[in-house]
Amino acid sequence: MNSIAFQFDMDLNMLPVEGEMTFFENGEITVACGGASHTVSVTETRVREAVVQAGVGCGLIFFKHKDENEDDKVVCRFTMSGLKNAGEFCKIVNYYIKTNVFAAADKPEKRRCEKCGKLFVDEIRVCLFCYSKFSVIKRAASYMKPYAGKFILAQSLIIFSGIMYLVIQTLNAHLIDEYLEPMRGTAAEILTIVGIMLAVRAIGEIIFVLNSRMYNKVTISYANDLRSKTFAKLQTLSMHSFSKRTPGDLIRRIMDDTNTIRDFITDAGRWMVERMIFFVTALVVLLILDWRLTLLIFIPVPFVALALKWFWKFIRSRYERQWRKESKTSSILHDIIKGIRTVKAFGNEKAEIKKFSVANHELAQISSDNEAYWARLFPLLTFITGIGEILVLYFGGILVISDDGALTLGRLMLFLMFIGYIYGPLRWIVSFPRWLANATTSMVKVFEIMDEEPEIMEKENPDNVPVSGGVVLDGVTFGYKSYEPVLKGIDLKIEPGEMIGLVGKSGVGKSTLINLVMRLYDPNSGRITINGTDLRDMSPKYLHENIGVVFQETFLFAGTFYENIAYAKSDVTPEDVIAAAKAANAHDFIMATPDGYNTLIGEGGQTISGGERQRLSIARAIIKNPDILILDEATSSLDVETEAAIQESLSRLVKNRTTIAIAHRLSTLRHANRLVVLDEGAVAEVGTHVELLQKKGIYFKLVMAQRQNTQLASAATESGV
Amino acid sequence: MQNATTQKDADDKIGGSFIMEELNADIGLLDVGKAEFFLTEGGFTGLRYDGKEHKHVTLRRALPVNQPSEYISVADNENKEIGILRSLSELSESQLPIVVKELDNRYYSPEVLEVISVKDKLGYVYMELRIKNKSEQSHLKNCAVKDVSRNIRMLNETSMIIFDVDGNRYIVRDINKMDKLSLRRLDPYLF
Repeated sequence: MNSIAFQFDMDLNMLPVEGEMTFFENGEITVACGGASHTVSVTETRVREAVVQAGVGCGLIFFKHKDENEDDKVVCRFTMSGLKNAGEFCKIVNYYIKTNVFAAADKPEKRRCEKCGKLFVDEIRVCLFCYSKFSVIKRAASYMKPYAGKFILAQSLIIFSGIMYLVIQTLNAHLIDEYLEPMRGTAAEILTIVGIMLAVRAIGEIIFVLNSRMYNKVTISYANDLRSKTFAKLQTLSMHSFSKRTPGDLIRRIMDDTNTIRDFITDAGRWMVERMIFFVTALVVLLILDWRLTLLIFIPVPFVALALKWFWKFIRSRYERQWRKESKTSSILHDIIKGIRTVKAFGNEKAEIKKFSVANHELAQISSDNEAYWARLFPLLTFITGIGEILVLYFGGILVISDDGALTLGRLMLFLMFIGYIYGPLRWIVSFPRWLANATTSMVKVFEIMDEEPEIMEKENPDNVPVSGGVVLDGVTFGYKSYEPVLKGIDLKIEPGEMIGLVGKSGVGKSTLINLVMRLYDPNSGRITINGTDLRDMSPKYLHENIGVVFQETFLFAGTFYENIAYAKSDVTPEDVIAAAKAANAHDFIMATPDGYNTLIGEGGQTISGGERQRLSIARAIIKNPDILILDEATSSLDVETEAAIQESLSRLVKNRTTIAIAHRLSTLRHANRLVVLDEGAVAEVGTHVELLQKKGIYFKLVMAQRQNTQLASAATESGV
Repeated sequence: MQNATTQKDADDKIGGSFIMEELNADIGLLDVGKAEFFLTEGGFTGLRYDGKEHKHVTLRRALPVNQPSEYISVADNENKEIGILRSLSELSESQLPIVVKELDNRYYSPEVLEVISVKDKLGYVYMELRIKNKSEQSHLKNCAVKDVSRNIRMLNETSMIIFDVDGNRYIVRDINKMDKLSLRRLDPYLF
């Protein structure tokens, strides 16, 4: 028998006990918790609905009964960890109660790693403890393919420039041993050697410059590629993918994470090769010169490595603190400056100054503490690293002055020089694991976006019927979170060319309904058709091209008036733009600016008022000549006079188009053919303004409440308050 | 410091405020004399008030952090506020346990007794905590915290709150009373 189960983690007394609620195909629900279990049948009993109630830090499922007089009954309790699954569970139970059909459950989203049981976090569906770093890096490297040739060339140049440095050092030793120390060289001989050294050095520098340029080019192109690919993928994802992540998170993934990957490749790729080559070459040279002295160098190595590890761990946590304090201080500052009008209007400058200076003082304290630590610790570290050098100097010195000539002065100098090449990479190797970890996390985050399946799927052979027909909603149920359905079984038929006004309290699902008509989301159940075709069978691009929208908050992009009006439509002529602006009553204020339609708006450009903004938005909708028009509180942020002016342009726009309008101000909807009143996620009343007033239902109450407000306002104006 | 101000403001405002007098506004305080809370068979809390019986009320704290025992909003099952209970101390001995239990059922933020381990893994902090449960015993809980600067916060000078990725909350009542090892593990997050 088919069944689905929901695991919960508390008993009814909120004690930590594992329990399970199972819903079977035959309508029975078994609740097992702490050894006891009981069964309820939703078909036989009087259960009307299974409801999830979220508390603070915990939640519960309860049954509502068909008989209103019967008490609601708590079935199980759980911590927040169970909330999402509880919602899914109840959805299936409720669907069964309503239709007697046992809906196959969606595959429950994995929340924990199957291997180690740790929670997935931050919408990352890969376990950060268990994923294979190698495969992630391999994938990141695969994006390097187009640049493979240049990359390899750049790498070989590094090796070459490294060798140049070694040659200089060896020449240096040669100069000391052969000419300077025995004091037998001639000026010409010395000049020859110095000249060769200079030439080698120059070649080395040239190679270094070439290499840097090539390397930067390759890594920048690589990061650009990765960023464009991620961004392009992001554009194909549904609103749901956007709303489950914050804009900040997405921007960070596109910008910061791709940069982290680039930095890693630049640093790890470039310096790792270089340092490793230096390390190995230096080691070989040193062993050939004197293997005993070489071993001496390695005596302090374990200490240096340990000291470095400890040092970084210590300093990192301190700097992390400083970093957090910095971000707190800057966010306080950001808040104050952004809200400076409010601060000044409320005369709260002094309090704000105090708030900022307290945070600033704390930051200064931490920063100076950290600097002091750094100043104390760093010399210690240098001291430990220096021990190897001292040992070499001491024993090497003895070898140089000993009679058997075991070591020459030049070779000792070479030795001391090469110690740096041995100790240098150590510093780097210690911090490498963390570095690698950060880069691979970024890779995981970026690849996750690339791998995400768009929820709004585009059909392979879309059926793009003309959208001029009517819109029909057929049993549409939808919720942004599965446990909180916003719309519950909406049935609505909108005739072609009809204007529908959506009315209802805020939060009742008006905007959600139009989001579904625009197919920014797909309904959880039921369907929406235009001209008899399911929206899911049309291509989203085609649909969006034929729907015009005016929102309450118009987003204007940085650009000119012209670009903003022509937004999302490439094949427009200047006449189109001007005609649209005129129809939207925007032409006059645009022409009042010195650069007319070429005036820059948005950040740093011309400032425009709310009314002007709204008119631009209407022009933007008009220019698309859409068959379906959606007005979401298009005029509610405006004053009555401006609204009247805009209403006029809107009425031109609405003519002969299927229109769905939401307005808080009910008078705005007087042109609507029918009004649809939503209440608690369902259609409560449908009719014309007059019909609904006569009905004396919800609409009547809303109108009366607004009328009272208006009367209050006008009374206040009259009495001069 | 912020807390001190709020407390002072609160002291000034308990039992009326100048705004209420000037504007003749009313926050809709519940007349405790007329209210009778009761437990329903279904496991919820009900309220008989003003001649009406509500079988499933929801209690919400208006100031859960600063004054958890004052200003508790009581709403019916359609989420309409019936009234605000000014203070738990106004309740009779028989009524108090019912209301306290309902609040306990709604607000679940177990107290952290010990921090067993804290692992910072790639920007996410995985914690193993020993938390106190309702039976005054303790059990272990693993949780993951993202964006630590936002989700591990000091509520005031001494207490701290941790929000995990699921939205669970854990409270450290007094960091000064924690054992040294736990405190050291939390140290990087004390702000």
